[in-house]
Amino acid sequence: MDWLDRLSIAAIAAIAVITIGMLANQALMQRGEENPGEEAKGGKSSYALQMEEDNKLFKEVRAFQEQGHYQEAMAQAKDIMKSYPKKSMPYVYLARLHFKQGELRETIINYRLAVEMEPDYVDERTPLFIGEEIKQIVEEGREKFGREKVLKPEDSQVRNALKDIYYLQSRLAGGCE
Amino acid sequence: MRALRVIDASIVTGALLGLGGVFLVSFGNPVNSGICVSCFMENVAGALQLHDDLRMSYIRPELIGFILGSFLVATKSGRFQVKGGSSPLIRFFMGFFIIVGCAVFIGCPIKMILRLGAGDLTAIAATLGLTFGIWLGVRYIKGGFALDREKALPPMNGLVIPLVALLLLVFLFISPSFVKTGQKGPAAWHAPIFISLFTGLAIGAFAQRSGLCITGGIRNFFLAGERTLLNGVITAFLSALMLSVVLGQFRWGMTAQPASHLNHGWTFLAMVLVGIASVLIDGCPFRQLIKAGQGDVDAGVTTLGMLFGGGLVYSWVLRSTSAGPTFEGKIVVLIGLIFALVVAVAFRKRKLVGQER
Repeated sequence: MDWLDRLSIAAIAAIAVITIGMLANQALMQRGEENPGEEAKGGKSSYALQMEEDNKLFKEVRAFQEQGHYQEAMAQAKDIMKSYPKKSMPYVYLARLHFKQGELRETIINYRLAVEMEPDYVDERTPLFIGEEIKQIVEEGREKFGREKVLKPEDSQVRNALKDIYYLQSRLAGGCE
Repeated sequence: MRALRVIDASIVTGALLGLGGVFLVSFGNPVNSGICVSCFMENVAGALQLHDDLRMSYIRPELIGFILGSFLVATKSGRFQVKGGSSPLIRFFMGFFIIVGCAVFIGCPIKMILRLGAGDLTAIAATLGLTFGIWLGVRYIKGGFALDREKALPPMNGLVIPLVALLLLVFLFISPSFVKTGQKGPAAWHAPIFISLFTGLAIGAFAQRSGLCITGGIRNFFLAGERTLLNGVITAFLSALMLSVVLGQFRWGMTAQPASHLNHGWTFLAMVLVGIASVLIDGCPFRQLIKAGQGDVDAGVTTLGMLFGGGLVYSWVLRSTSAGPTFEGKIVVLIGLIFALVVAVAFRKRKLVGQER
């Protein structure tokens, strides 16, 4: 090992120590600014904000729904949908309203659209989770459309309804998606 | 006696894969994804911001464990042999296409076994596709296919991938700002770091000893009727099946399966791609990691190709969801099949007419 090797090794060691020190320092600073789990907390507060905003936005929809004025509630939800095209919550309200009116097919379509836009609805680790609610509808739908498939095997609407149900079932089952 | 030891190592590795895959789900990994090299590659790619889906961003300690477990055993047993230089770019893109194929099925060959073991019947199409792809690859091998010959390289070349794995481990613990960790979705579903890491290390160590490879097991059977590695593959399935039943994770059926879809034709084709590509580059995604850990630079290049694939399957949406494969995913599977077949044909060493006689 000549002087160049020794110098190189010393330089490598020094640079490695400096790099590790810088990384550790940055990690410590980050922890100082945000305590461990802060990202999760931050996540929750953003959820809280979102839920608060949705609560305000859908106040009238809920009021109409409670009074049994489903058509008005749906019109209101559709207006919100137009004003906020990136919001997934109108689909959840529409699904609930369709269900109240016994329209299972439309209920399932809207739940699927909601889950496609916001996977947190089927993620039990988030406050938006409404998996149990969707699961009940899906089970009911599977029974109903399963029977209809036997009676009308070529009916494309029934087949599509089952496809939506399978999609929701798979999402509810979890996994790496 | 020596053969018996090899068989034992293969069976032990298979059992570890099957049991580890199911146990890791109990400890927090996504359902049916206790071990999935392709999903985990996508997670690592996301953590390194090669794609921006935070729900799929987490440095999976299992992958680090596979590489370092293999590295540690290989160095200790004198099997750390640094070699490479065999068609590196072709291997890189094969690695990429393998991950796309896996993403269209939603799982690597190990996850395919775990899904089957958990009663997911949609994985049958994948098994048939993978088997057919391997059979096809074997036809080319028997027909004279071989990539360029590898050669011995200076040791430093073989240390790069283990060092990268070590660096990822450091990143996992110190969380530098450029490493992202998702707090929801599949990224949030993970076993405690040390459990994942030690499971990975144990599997990596035994896999180095046994040479277990999912596609290799089936390939050897087609090629020479040799069953050593196949026994490990079967053991992985049986152990996953038994533990899934015991732990209540078994759910028999075609529908309501986690992260699965019902486009069986595309599942089949995607896994044909995975099968043939894995045979052409000598190893499934899992085996590539193990080989990368034991000094195989070519496998290291494939690993980087897989990481690149892990990024692009999310950035370019080359994958499937529960609704089925995307158009882009289907196209890239087809391009991957063309690529694999062109390589298979181009690298055949045909005998001259005179030599045949």
